[in-house]
Amino acid sequence: MNSQNFLRISASRERIPLGVLGVALLLLCTSFTTIRAAWADALPQKSPPFESDGAALSRTPSLPVIRVAPDFILLNTVNQPVHLSDLRGQVVLISFIYTSCTSACPLLTARMSALWGRLKRDGAAARQVRFLSITVDPARDSAAALERYVKRFKADPARWSFLREERQKLQPVLAAYDEWTRPQPDGEIDHPARLYLIDRRGRLREIYSISFFDERQAFLDIQALLHQSP
Amino acid sequence: MKRGKAARRLMWAAIGAVVLLGTTHSAMAEICLSPYVKQRTGQEKYLYVWSVDADAKDNDFMAVIDVNMTSPTYGKILTTIDVGSKGNEPHHMGLTDDRTRIWAGTLFSNTIFIFDVASDPARPKIVKVLDDLGKLTGMMGPHTHYALPGRMLISFLSKADGGLPGGMAEFTNDGQLIRTIQHPDSAPYAYDLAIKPGLNLMVTSSFTAYRNYSKPLSQWNMKDGGNTLLVWDFKERKLLQTLQTGPVPLEVRWSLKPKAAYGFTNVALDDSLWMFKRTNGKFVATKAADLGKGCLPADLRQSPDDKYLYVSCFLKNEIQVWDVSKPEKIRLHDTVVPGVQPNMMHVTSDGKRMYISNSLLSTMDQADRFWVRLAHIGPDGRVKMDPFFNVSFMDFPSGPARAHDMLLY
Repeated sequence: MNSQNFLRISASRERIPLGVLGVALLLLCTSFTTIRAAWADALPQKSPPFESDGAALSRTPSLPVIRVAPDFILLNTVNQPVHLSDLRGQVVLISFIYTSCTSACPLLTARMSALWGRLKRDGAAARQVRFLSITVDPARDSAAALERYVKRFKADPARWSFLREERQKLQPVLAAYDEWTRPQPDGEIDHPARLYLIDRRGRLREIYSISFFDERQAFLDIQALLHQSP
Repeated sequence: MKRGKAARRLMWAAIGAVVLLGTTHSAMAEICLSPYVKQRTGQEKYLYVWSVDADAKDNDFMAVIDVNMTSPTYGKILTTIDVGSKGNEPHHMGLTDDRTRIWAGTLFSNTIFIFDVASDPARPKIVKVLDDLGKLTGMMGPHTHYALPGRMLISFLSKADGGLPGGMAEFTNDGQLIRTIQHPDSAPYAYDLAIKPGLNLMVTSSFTAYRNYSKPLSQWNMKDGGNTLLVWDFKERKLLQTLQTGPVPLEVRWSLKPKAAYGFTNVALDDSLWMFKRTNGKFVATKAADLGKGCLPADLRQSPDDKYLYVSCFLKNEIQVWDVSKPEKIRLHDTVVPGVQPNMMHVTSDGKRMYISNSLLSTMDQADRFWVRLAHIGPDGRVKMDPFFNVSFMDFPSGPARAHDMLLY
């Protein structure tokens, strides 16, 4: 990844009405390597940006129990604890991000945002789904920094929580999800860009790679889990 | 409104630029690995070679070769990691999606060794051994180790008793079994698997079972092998179609073009390449090229630009380069002779180098010397052997070893 080519985009509130443009420009200034992998199969043709197109979908996905989702308590942007096990009865989608990331994270969050849009249009589904985005960079991602990120992506704070914790308490959570971090000389943090889908009984049922994440399929996966008894 | 239009125009320009520039960028995961494997950047440093003690009297091991061109020990074996047992028949291996671990399987002892390669890439460490696969999965002979996000999907050549059917098993990256998938009785042989995520499709191929491949080649029942490709709905892990090919289709290579619904396989006992292709919603398999009698195409690799296929002719001592830029009309482009019985190939992510080894199976090998060699691939797709890179696998303290599958760090 050549960070010298990167331009960081200010997330000022004045520019947020052009949020789509902002993200597109961010993409332009982002590692071509990462973007190529992420967009190779999901580049929109006619559909709106950040919505997948072209991939075949499955309406009856096979979602085996991968393992019990490791439990955790982390803090949201107003320093209230969020306990994963308190979310039993809801389907939970978890991502690991950091806000100064210029490559996979904004793309990943934008795709989650597109998925949230689909869920919201569905109404009933949205009420039974929670998104959690956990920062892997607690040193730089203060509660205020996460709050700015929430606003940048227009996340509904009631349903989509951005979580943090001090490094010592965060580390076991990362390890439990097989996530790791490698700080890079340019300030970026290398880490696996996966998303974790948890059913209403707290079991991990799907792991997505951002490179091939299709929010239309994730929507169908969530619906499939919601149709199963809690 | 004007502002909105301008914004949209700029956005599409940005996306267009990203894609245009992205397509010329070559820093992607090596071709023929699972598409879910994280990209590696820069020139490779270490080549891991999964190695079989030649006479099975000493322990098998993973060899680490220095392939950093700027290193004073370039082209030398840096170390070997003893797996602590012999007669395993180390065969294929695969990286986890995050490139931190190598899953390395064995065909005789039905074991998977999980190596940590992230902590110290020069000295991989065994962190887990799955030595109860028969009991755990009901299957035998882990072959293709294919990364999924946070998981590994493994094809198995046999049922636990060495018979049929084979199938697949899915594990978490740290080795917990998630589920097994049996091949149907109507097409029970298993071998390779390859997924095309954008199409939600998986194709599996068919070799033979432990009851056959564990015997010396002269005792093989040549009729006890598969001649099918299976097309699966990947997301549902549901069989969609069974395609007939010549006898024993081995490696499965999807076209690298994102939306292209076709690929190739090397059909070992038919000395041919076959193409599988979706037409009007259904897949068909057809012979694409004859490779010449007595080739025994053992491995099949791709160039990152999707233009060439590399076929190792195990019995003809050559590697053939096929131009597949017109997939319906492929043609022989080049041939190179790397040495006796070339088998496994590993093409670098920039498509400029190919590492080659020359062991297939201890029951099939006829070569008396084992090695890892390097070929350079020119921009014209022509392949030339490197006269200086020649790593002998004859001089270990335990004696000769058969060099089989290879992975890069």
